[in-house]
Amino acid sequence: MKKFLACLLSAAMVLGAVGCSASSETAETEAQTETTEAAAAESEEETTAAETEAAQTEANPEETAGEISDTVKQLYADFDKSMEEQIGPMPENFGEIKVGAVVISLTNPFWVTMKDCYIAAGEELGVPIDVQTGTTEGDTASQLDVLMTMADMDYDVIIVSPIDGTNLIPGIIKCNENGVKVINLGPGVDTEALAEAGGYLDATITVDFAEQGETVANDMMERLPEGGQVAVLAGLAGAGQSEGRTRGFTETIEANDSYELVAVQNCDWDATLAYDATKALITEYPDLKGIFCCNDVMALAAVEALSAEGVDGVLIYGVDFTDDAKAAIQEGKMTGSMSYSSARYTKAALQMAVMLNEGETFDSNVYLPLTLVNVDNVNSLEGWK
Amino acid sequence: MKGYFDISAKRLKYMGDKMEKILGYIKKEFSSPVLLICFCLMISVFLSISTESFYSLKNVVNILEANSYRMILAVGMMCIITSGAIDLSVGSILSFSAICTAISLKAELPIALCILLGLLSGTVMGVINGVLVYATRINPLIITLATSYMYRGLSLMVTEGIPVTKLPESFREIGCGDIFGMESGVTAAFVIIIAMIPVFFFMKWGSYIASLGGNPEALKRCGVKTWKYRISVFALMGFLASVSGIIVSARLNSAEANAGLNMEMDAICAVIMGGTALHGGKGSLFGTVIAVFLMGLIRNGLTIMSVSSYYQQFITGAMLLCAVVIAELRERRARIG
Repeated sequence: MKKFLACLLSAAMVLGAVGCSASSETAETEAQTETTEAAAAESEEETTAAETEAAQTEANPEETAGEISDTVKQLYADFDKSMEEQIGPMPENFGEIKVGAVVISLTNPFWVTMKDCYIAAGEELGVPIDVQTGTTEGDTASQLDVLMTMADMDYDVIIVSPIDGTNLIPGIIKCNENGVKVINLGPGVDTEALAEAGGYLDATITVDFAEQGETVANDMMERLPEGGQVAVLAGLAGAGQSEGRTRGFTETIEANDSYELVAVQNCDWDATLAYDATKALITEYPDLKGIFCCNDVMALAAVEALSAEGVDGVLIYGVDFTDDAKAAIQEGKMTGSMSYSSARYTKAALQMAVMLNEGETFDSNVYLPLTLVNVDNVNSLEGWK
Repeated sequence: MKGYFDISAKRLKYMGDKMEKILGYIKKEFSSPVLLICFCLMISVFLSISTESFYSLKNVVNILEANSYRMILAVGMMCIITSGAIDLSVGSILSFSAICTAISLKAELPIALCILLGLLSGTVMGVINGVLVYATRINPLIITLATSYMYRGLSLMVTEGIPVTKLPESFREIGCGDIFGMESGVTAAFVIIIAMIPVFFFMKWGSYIASLGGNPEALKRCGVKTWKYRISVFALMGFLASVSGIIVSARLNSAEANAGLNMEMDAICAVIMGGTALHGGKGSLFGTVIAVFLMGLIRNGLTIMSVSSYYQQFITGAMLLCAVVIAELRERRARIG
């Protein structure tokens, strides 16, 4: 009996040990192969591009992944100019630094892309970076646990994107106490509550969420000159991005009398909820002309719901410009999606991390330039990421 | 004075019996957690070697702090499962009692009263569960599934989905301030575990709870009023869930309707992993405590090793499966020979 137990126990131990180490190793090697593959692909394309277009354009080694259209080049140039104005130039030499990032969830394609962009940007700048997250989306407590653990590790700077305004505050205070610099990227930390609790942020880089809503509202009104009923599918109640986008959209729409805002429905970023809400909306308001969804997951669900109901001609806008949304816009199922370059976003954040570590300070928030991708310009944005 | 030291043979035998009984408890109690302790040690050694930040006091404190409220929930769940029931409404009770506390704090009632209200609301919800289970004789799985939706719905109705944030500093001081260099939740968890030892092992309550799970008919035939124990165990669970709720809301500085989602499953997982039988009758307090610690260790280890959170759920599931299969095999062997 005892022997049998001992056997089982040791077997389980070995299994566990192998499992643990194997999983991390495979993850690492996978990441490595991916990057080498990407690098190979890049250099290949670079050579072909250089061969064909050597005479006309000078090849920019940074932007050779995929074909880059002039529109995208222009967007990148505008972005870099705006960042240079707000942040300043990247220091050429910098000391050793280790950066951590806490993102919201790896079950949402947007954050998966952000993670990949962080890692790519880290390699480009030569800054080691780890990206971590809580277990599931909306699990505020486990996201805090992750930050609390990271605060005691050897990171110099941690970039945080909190699930809600307050959940990471104890972790940020711990970082402050341990001398770890904190950058807030994207969804905002409630700075008032943070200050009250005795903590501070070293820098903030974010998107003006209200501006996203405004831009969509303006584009929608341009496409609906005769006016009509419109609705909003918002995200999680209380989440900064959702509230900001909704506010920007509703204020712009309500300023114009020929448009009627019939509903603002919280769908918690969830596809199923958005699907059902859209069906309910279109049944109740058959004349509905446009829906602004606070992210693409919900926008795509709205598209599905409308096609299931056999309704055409409702303008649907999303935010994030995910790959699926891009395809939907190209097919004309969706009208537009608010976008910004995740690659540039994460790179700017990493640059700020390096500069903070070198002793620079950032007094005001850094805002990203935004782009609305719609049915008119989607095909000229090949290579935008 | 003299009489006191005059120990008769009878008394000595009595004391010997008592000691033997206690030793028996210890032996029984620790036979199943041994496996878990081995797992813990193995993972700790592995992490200490492969990472720099794991082997430090600070990190141990991190693990304890991050798991204090899970520990409290699991202890309550252990009692519930020992009594042959299950409670799926734990996460909802946690969220609702946190919201009750937060709303009364916002109404600027005295802090002690607010906390009392939170604890009371949790206990009442537990009592409702217990009464329903006892009165209807319907499987507690269904009853608490229903109440879990109801309680969660109440939370959503009360808050309209908007988190109650910016709780007063003095409340946060109680819920997660420093005691012995750790958040107060850790102390609360320790106090609860230590308080449970006599209650669970040496008092009538503990053995009746176990018989309630093992052989409720026999207990009734003995003239015990089983409703008292059925309801009190659910009330205890509700109370402990509200303690967790207060700790969670103080840490996060917000009480929201989504708090505690799936926490009942984590608690059930830890209880079963710790060697408590799902059909009731046999509970393991220390096994539960160690299982919660083990799950926390895995979570912490994956963060430190920068392994994606994707792996965590898989590993937890695999561990649960291992633990249950081993326990089952052992029980079958014991039954045969």
